[in-house]
Amino acid sequence: MSAKHTHISDVLVVGAGLAAERSAIEAAEQGLSVIILSLIPPRRSHSTAAQGGMQASLGNVAMGLGDNPRIHLEDTIKGSDWGCDQEVAKAFCDTVPIMIRQLDAWGVPWNRVTAGKKKYASGVETEDLKEKEGLITARDFGGVAKWRCCYTADGTGHTVMFVVDTVVCKMGITVHDRMEAISLIHDGETCLGVVARDLRTGDLNVYLAKSTVIGTGGAGRIYAASTNAVICEGTGGAICLNTGLVPLGNMEAVQFHPTGMPPVWILMTEGARGDGGYLLDKNMHRFMPDYEPKKKELASRDVVSRRMIQHIRAGYGIQSKYAPQHLWLDIRHLGRKWVWNNLREISNIAMNFNGLDPAKDLVPVLPTQHYTMGGIRTNKNGFAYGLKGLFAIGEAACWDLHGFNRLGGNSLAETVTAGFLVGKEVAKYTLGATQKFDYKLVEGFVKQEEERINNLISGRNGKENAYEIKEAMGQAMMDHVHIFRTGPALQEGVTKLQELYRRSLKIGLRSSGQGANPELAQALRMPGMIRMALCVAYGALMRTESSGSHSREDFPKRDDVNWLKRTLAYWKPGADLPTLDYEPVATPHMPPGDRGYGEATAGPKAAK
Amino acid sequence: MELAKNLQKTLNKSYGKTDLYVDLAESITGIILVGFLWMHMLFVGTIYINNGALFNALSEGLDKYYLAQIGIPATVLVILLHIFMAGRRAPMRLRDLRIAWRLSKMINHYDTWVWVGQVITALLIGIFASMHLWTIMTTWPIEAVKSAHRVAEPGVAFWGGFSIPYYLIFYAIFLLVGEYHAGFGLYRILVKWGWFERHKMGWVLKGITVIIICIGVGALYMFTQVAKMYPHAGGAL
Amino acid sequence: MARQLTFSIFRYNPNKPGDKPRMQEYSFEEFEGLTMFVALNKIREEMDPTLMFDFVCRAAICGSCAMMINGRPRLACKTMTINLPSRITVMPLPVFKLIGDLSVDTGTWFRNLQVKTESWIHTNKKFDPNALEVRMENKIAEQIYEPERCVECGCCVATCVTANIREDFIGATGINRVSRFMMDPRDERSDAEYYEVVGNEDGAFGCVGLMACADLCPMEIPLQTQLAYARRKMAAAGLKLQFAGVKIS
Repeated sequence: MSAKHTHISDVLVVGAGLAAERSAIEAAEQGLSVIILSLIPPRRSHSTAAQGGMQASLGNVAMGLGDNPRIHLEDTIKGSDWGCDQEVAKAFCDTVPIMIRQLDAWGVPWNRVTAGKKKYASGVETEDLKEKEGLITARDFGGVAKWRCCYTADGTGHTVMFVVDTVVCKMGITVHDRMEAISLIHDGETCLGVVARDLRTGDLNVYLAKSTVIGTGGAGRIYAASTNAVICEGTGGAICLNTGLVPLGNMEAVQFHPTGMPPVWILMTEGARGDGGYLLDKNMHRFMPDYEPKKKELASRDVVSRRMIQHIRAGYGIQSKYAPQHLWLDIRHLGRKWVWNNLREISNIAMNFNGLDPAKDLVPVLPTQHYTMGGIRTNKNGFAYGLKGLFAIGEAACWDLHGFNRLGGNSLAETVTAGFLVGKEVAKYTLGATQKFDYKLVEGFVKQEEERINNLISGRNGKENAYEIKEAMGQAMMDHVHIFRTGPALQEGVTKLQELYRRSLKIGLRSSGQGANPELAQALRMPGMIRMALCVAYGALMRTESSGSHSREDFPKRDDVNWLKRTLAYWKPGADLPTLDYEPVATPHMPPGDRGYGEATAGPKAAK
Repeated sequence: MELAKNLQKTLNKSYGKTDLYVDLAESITGIILVGFLWMHMLFVGTIYINNGALFNALSEGLDKYYLAQIGIPATVLVILLHIFMAGRRAPMRLRDLRIAWRLSKMINHYDTWVWVGQVITALLIGIFASMHLWTIMTTWPIEAVKSAHRVAEPGVAFWGGFSIPYYLIFYAIFLLVGEYHAGFGLYRILVKWGWFERHKMGWVLKGITVIIICIGVGALYMFTQVAKMYPHAGGAL
Repeated sequence: MARQLTFSIFRYNPNKPGDKPRMQEYSFEEFEGLTMFVALNKIREEMDPTLMFDFVCRAAICGSCAMMINGRPRLACKTMTINLPSRITVMPLPVFKLIGDLSVDTGTWFRNLQVKTESWIHTNKKFDPNALEVRMENKIAEQIYEPERCVECGCCVATCVTANIREDFIGATGINRVSRFMMDPRDERSDAEYYEVVGNEDGAFGCVGLMACADLCPMEIPLQTQLAYARRKMAAAGLKLQFAGVKIS
């Protein structure tokens, strides 16, 4: 076995979700030849699962009047607990309204403003202006000062993904789906492309390009329970980390969404609370106002998730067949019509998986791993650290729009905005770059992958079971690296993961590994996944403060003096633990301060 | 050619308007035939009235005003057209027949089974209608007593003295097959053009079909009674 | 007592020399909340690591996991075994090219469909980054969202007799997709242009009206309405063009 096909293009985009496709469009628009690789057909990407919407300060809806990019920027920085790159956040907030309108021109059926007085189920009474009628409307979301979450019912990710893909189809951009990048080809300085495994046939292919863009999404599946799609295994981050040269930034910043639905852990959109839904405890008491009098259910996600766990620990959780402990999401008072028109996807999900009709039943919810704020560290133009010609984008990247906590609706907005902004930089870089490669070097990388595959098939290194290791990793992350973290627990987690990592190097297949063998695909990913998990756990262990979603019970306060910095995790060859480095976080637009919600503001109040 | 310039380049094979006409023709001929069949059954149903006096009057009327002379060939033409148009839609090749049959069995879906029934009844109607037409044409004009005697024909006696009234059986089957095809055919046409809510419309059409079948069955019974009343074929009313 | 479930699963790996299509059985005891997603993964992880199938979102959002479960096309992720008899037959979707076992290549099929029907907004307007968005009634946005909800799982194509016997037929999903653009005021295509795309037997006039698509659509998209809308619109367009004396290529 050697490389079956070699493909050469100007730009290689790994991943076909929103960020990846949007950057491909930008590059292709400059006349560059682009190839997109994807595990699955683009329209099946996890981007489609985004429900609630996309933050943009259009200021059309009555509750959003007067909104502007500056207010959006402030919300984003506060949300990030001052962990984000403020320059990136500014560029993002300035650009995202244009992106929304461009998506509109491309065909996204954004919901629109209808003029007139209205009373929302949340009790808010407003009057939408005649002059704004027909413009794009927005809904309320967590951690924001103005309503600015633009939406198409609760299928925003779906409509945006499909529309962006129509543009990819229209432009005739080449997409190779069911093609998994399994290693990065580089000469120590420049990234030359990837070795990819064809998931239809099992063949290895080589893709060479002047620029390689990684847009492979998050790594939620390092946790046993995650709202993420099963393909969100952080493959893009892992292959970059494996080079030993490219660092992952802030991997300990993991978002837990307040409303994952047990026992399947599928997301119930934040839009449910944005539209006026409540969280109830076992006494049917709406407890969030007790903790967060100002923002109630709509504090940022890290805060709401912690408050929920705090409330459960205080003994107010519900025990049911859905989960040993959970809380209720109540949107019954929104009325069937509203639920049908604006929250249909989650109604279907609640019905399909738990037989519940949210228009008349309570839905069980529990905070669930949802988003990877960390990722391949890039500069503000999307250039990955460590290798030339390598870019990262979207959830796979740590562009650092989100710092230690991402605001709801900012990730979908990030995908297209980063796609546009970084895509432009990719195009600029590529137009000035030349392509040269030493084919011996390329073949070396192919050989290395062949050897890995042969070893897995023959079981030369051992007979460990890939699925068992994956399950143990997921459980270790659940037990030791979850919402509330402590030094000893994290240390135990790191030790367990290290042990698993060593075992993952001794995986042997139980099947023949022939053709598009699924066990082989999993086995190839395992060491990389555990490395990612170790970056999360070890980064969390070393960060002795609480910031955003990283919440250390032994260090409950944010520590701007010592910790206003970003973790960079490298994986040196032969190591079984990441090497951590740090870089300062600049705050040119807004100095660290009070978020206006959360424990630092509202206090660690106990439940009534 | 201004418009032609605006036409997008497509990878489609271009069909012009043939497909539209074929589709319209299928629907229109279908509707005409359903209309014909239902009208026909109402006419046959007149046998109830005055022991067939109205039946004969209608028949004479058709003859006198040349309605039959024009109507019958026209109907035959519409039937042929309908066979031609609708037939293209049915699986023709053996391979396709097999796929269609296996798929229907696998998905076990009500409307798909109904359609399988339509294909089968279409074939039967092709045979039955020819026979029916032949009988009518060779015994022209249509008269109540003549028809009655045909329906009441005792048929060939078997060795046990048991006889099969083949005309009666023929008409009974023809009635069911014809009305099935007409009722569901009309349903299918209306579904395709989408003017009505499909499930309600289905029940309405099923209701109409049952009524028509009742009229038909009643008419067959009446014919046997008329035949008893006028034991001599050709006897005046 | 929990039921013993038996899964009879279609097995065939076209990439394995000498492999022959066959049905293989797996059984285990049912447990609370068991979906086909959990069941198939359990089989793969514990009984047979070679079993091929596709899941992505496992939340009935992405459309990856359509398969024939007891003869009906369903999204496996949201199919609860409790609603099925204890013997469960699982086959890949027909029409689409088989990748292996339960995995079929819907991606290529749908990609070709998008290109063939030019399913994107056609407009001569240039996007102006400084301008406000073009106004639209919220009602129209909601109407567009209805057909837009299609996840391209392929269930409608798999159950359609016409799509099964005629390779060129674009199926309910294709007609629905095009009708979504017909409803969209931002798409400047004329009736004649749409007619060129779907005014034929491979498109709007090809549907025989069996409605298995509408009855079995996992997203419950009102496909009959969409198919009939496209048919009426295309018939009107064709007749209008006829009376206007316009020749279509």
